[in-house]
Amino acid sequence: MNDFNAAPRHSLSPNAINYWRREELISNLIAFVVLAVLFYLDWRFDWYNWIGWILIGLAIIFLIGLVWSVLSPPLTFKSWRYDLDEEFLYLQFGIWNRTEQLVPMTKIQAVSLTQGPLMRKYKLASLSVETMGSSHAIPALPKETAAELRERIAHFAKIKEVEQ
Amino acid sequence: MIAAQRHHPVQILFKIGRLIRNSVFIFLVLFVFQGDNSSLYVVYGRYAFSLFFLWFLVSSVLTWLTTTYALDDQRFYLRRGIFSKTDQSIPFSKVQNINRHTSFVHRLLGLTSIRFETGIAGEDASVKFEVVTQNEAARLETAVQEQKESLVSEVCTNIDRAGAAPETERVIRKPQEERVIHFQPTRQDLLKASMTSFSFLLLVPLLASLYYNVSEFFGLEERLDGIGSTLVSSPWFIALAVGLMILASFVFGIIHSFIKYGKYKISSDTQRVYIQKGVLSEAAFSIAKERVQAIEITQTFTKRILGLAEVKLISAGSLSMGPEDMSISSLYPFLPKKRAYALVTELLPGYRIQEDMNRLPRRALWIRLLVPSWLWLIATAVLIYFRPEFLGFESTWWIASSLLLAIVFTSRVLDFLHTRYCLNDELIQLKNGGFTSTLFVTKREKIVEVEITQNRIQRKFGLSSLQTVTRARPIHTSYLKDVPDTMASTFRHWYRGRMKEVELDNAN
Repeated sequence: MNDFNAAPRHSLSPNAINYWRREELISNLIAFVVLAVLFYLDWRFDWYNWIGWILIGLAIIFLIGLVWSVLSPPLTFKSWRYDLDEEFLYLQFGIWNRTEQLVPMTKIQAVSLTQGPLMRKYKLASLSVETMGSSHAIPALPKETAAELRERIAHFAKIKEVEQ
Repeated sequence: MIAAQRHHPVQILFKIGRLIRNSVFIFLVLFVFQGDNSSLYVVYGRYAFSLFFLWFLVSSVLTWLTTTYALDDQRFYLRRGIFSKTDQSIPFSKVQNINRHTSFVHRLLGLTSIRFETGIAGEDASVKFEVVTQNEAARLETAVQEQKESLVSEVCTNIDRAGAAPETERVIRKPQEERVIHFQPTRQDLLKASMTSFSFLLLVPLLASLYYNVSEFFGLEERLDGIGSTLVSSPWFIALAVGLMILASFVFGIIHSFIKYGKYKISSDTQRVYIQKGVLSEAAFSIAKERVQAIEITQTFTKRILGLAEVKLISAGSLSMGPEDMSISSLYPFLPKKRAYALVTELLPGYRIQEDMNRLPRRALWIRLLVPSWLWLIATAVLIYFRPEFLGFESTWWIASSLLLAIVFTSRVLDFLHTRYCLNDELIQLKNGGFTSTLFVTKREKIVEVEITQNRIQRKFGLSSLQTVTRARPIHTSYLKDVPDTMASTFRHWYRGRMKEVELDNAN
C-alpha cells in the first residue's frame, strides 16, 4: 500500500522530452510554412493593410509558442507523476496549475492504449482511462510499462462496487 | 416469461390530442383566416397539412400496434418499431427513481403516466408508460420496488452469515410498512411561498402574451384605442384600474401557489422517499434511499431574508416529468431552514448535517479580490468603445462600469462569507455562492472521483482548490476554492478511506 500523502512515485518515460520536442518541431515547421506562404501572398498581391497587421500578430504568437515549445517539455516531464494500487489511480501534473486526481479503480469503465507513428519511434504509448464523468490520460509512458499498467488497471477495475 | 402486452389504447387519443393542440394555430391560419385565399402557397399548404395529419393518425395506430412490453421479476422487456424492430431489456436494478404524473385529463379518465428513470446514458434512459390505468401503474411500481427490497434483504442475510446482529434483518424484512408523513405545507406556508416565488408577477406577462396573440388576428388595438382614450382621461379610473390590477395579481399569485404547492406531501418508509404534489394534475416521485447521490440545499437572496431554503435530492436518473412545470427536482422549495435540515436527517439516515462548518482563512479573500474579472474587463472595454448615452447622460459608461465592478466585488465578498466546508465522518459538506448560496452534501462512497488543484498564486498563499464529481444527469461537479493546504491533504486522506463503506459486488 502506498502512502498517498507523499507525491506519487512514478514519472513518465525520459524519452518523452525528446518526443515532445520532435512533435513540437514538426507542428512548428508546418505553422512556419503556412505563415511564410501567407506573408508571401500578402506581399505579392498587395492585400489590405489590416491583413498585414494580423499576420504580424500571428508571427509574434508563433515566436512565443516556439520559445515555449523548447522550454516546456522538461517542465512538463518534471511535473508529471502517477501511481496506482488496487484501490486508486493517482495522477499529478501541471506546470502552472498543479492538478491532482484521485480515481477509484472501481469507477473506471475503460482503459485504452494509443500509440502514434512518432510515439512508436520513441517506444512510447499513452494510456487513457475513462470513468463515468470524464477521461484521464497519462501521456507518454514506455510501451511495456503502458501495456503492463493497462492490464493491471483492467484487473483492478473488474472488481465492481454494488451499484447504488 | 409473461406474455407481452400493448400499451393502453387511449395512448393514441392522447397523441392525437397533443397534435391537435400543437397544430391548431396552423390549422386556423390555413383554413379559417386565409380561408378564401386561393394562392398556391395556401392551397398546397392545406394539402400538406392534411397529408401530415393523415400520416400521423396512421403512424400512431401502427406504433401502438407494434409497441409492447412485458416484465418478469427481474426486468422489463420492451419491443417497438414498425419496420425495424427494437428489443430492449432493462433490469429493475438499474432504475434510479420512479416518476408518476397524472395530468388533469388523465385524472378524468382514471388513468396516469409513469416513468422509470435509469442512470443509462442516451435516449433510452427511461422506461415510459404515457398512459396506463392506475392499477397497472401500481403493479409496475411494486414489481420494481419489490425486486429492490429482495436485493436489500439478500445483502442483509449475507451480513448475518458473517456474524452481524440478527435484529437488522427482521426490521428490513417487514412487509409493506406504513409510510411516515414528514411534511405537508400549512396555509401559512403556502402564503409565504406565493410571496417568495413572486408568482404574483406572473399575471402580467400572461395577460400581455394573451393580448398580443389575440390582437394580431382581430385588430384589437384599433377597437380598444377608441375606448382607451376616453377612459385614460379620468385619473380616478386609472387609479382604480391599477388597484384592481395589483389585487388581481396577488389573488392570481396565491391561487397559483396553492395549485402548484397545495397538496405537497413528503413521506418515507424504511426503503424509499416519496414526494407527491399537485392539485389539478398530480405528480409523484419516489426514490430508494440508497440511490440518493447527494443533497443540495439552495437559498436565493429573498429566501435567505425569510429564512427559507430549498432541498434537492440528486439522483442519477432524470428527475423531470416532462415539459410542464410538474417536475419534482426538490423537496418542498420553501422550507424553513431548520426544518429543512431536520427533514434531511429524518428522510435519509446517515445524513446528519452539521451546522457549524469551517470558514475560509482571511487570505482567501485577498486572492479572490486580486483575480481580474473578465466579465468586468470585457464589459468596460465595450462600454468605452461604444460610449452609449442612457437618457442623454454622457457619463453613462463609467457609471455603468463602476456599478458592475461593485456588483462583481460584492458577489465575491459574499461568496467568501458564504463559503463553508466540513468533513463530518463519511459526509462532506460544501457551501458556496454569492447572491444565491448552495450547500452540497454527499457521502464519500457516492463521490466518483476527486481533484485537487493549485495555481501559482495559490501556492504562494498556501491554498488549494478541491473538486468532487458525483453521479447525476448530467454529471454533477462541486467546487471548493481556496482552502488551506492542510485541508487539501485531510481531504485526500478522507477520500482514500471510502473503501471502508463501499460494498464490493462479488457477483462478477
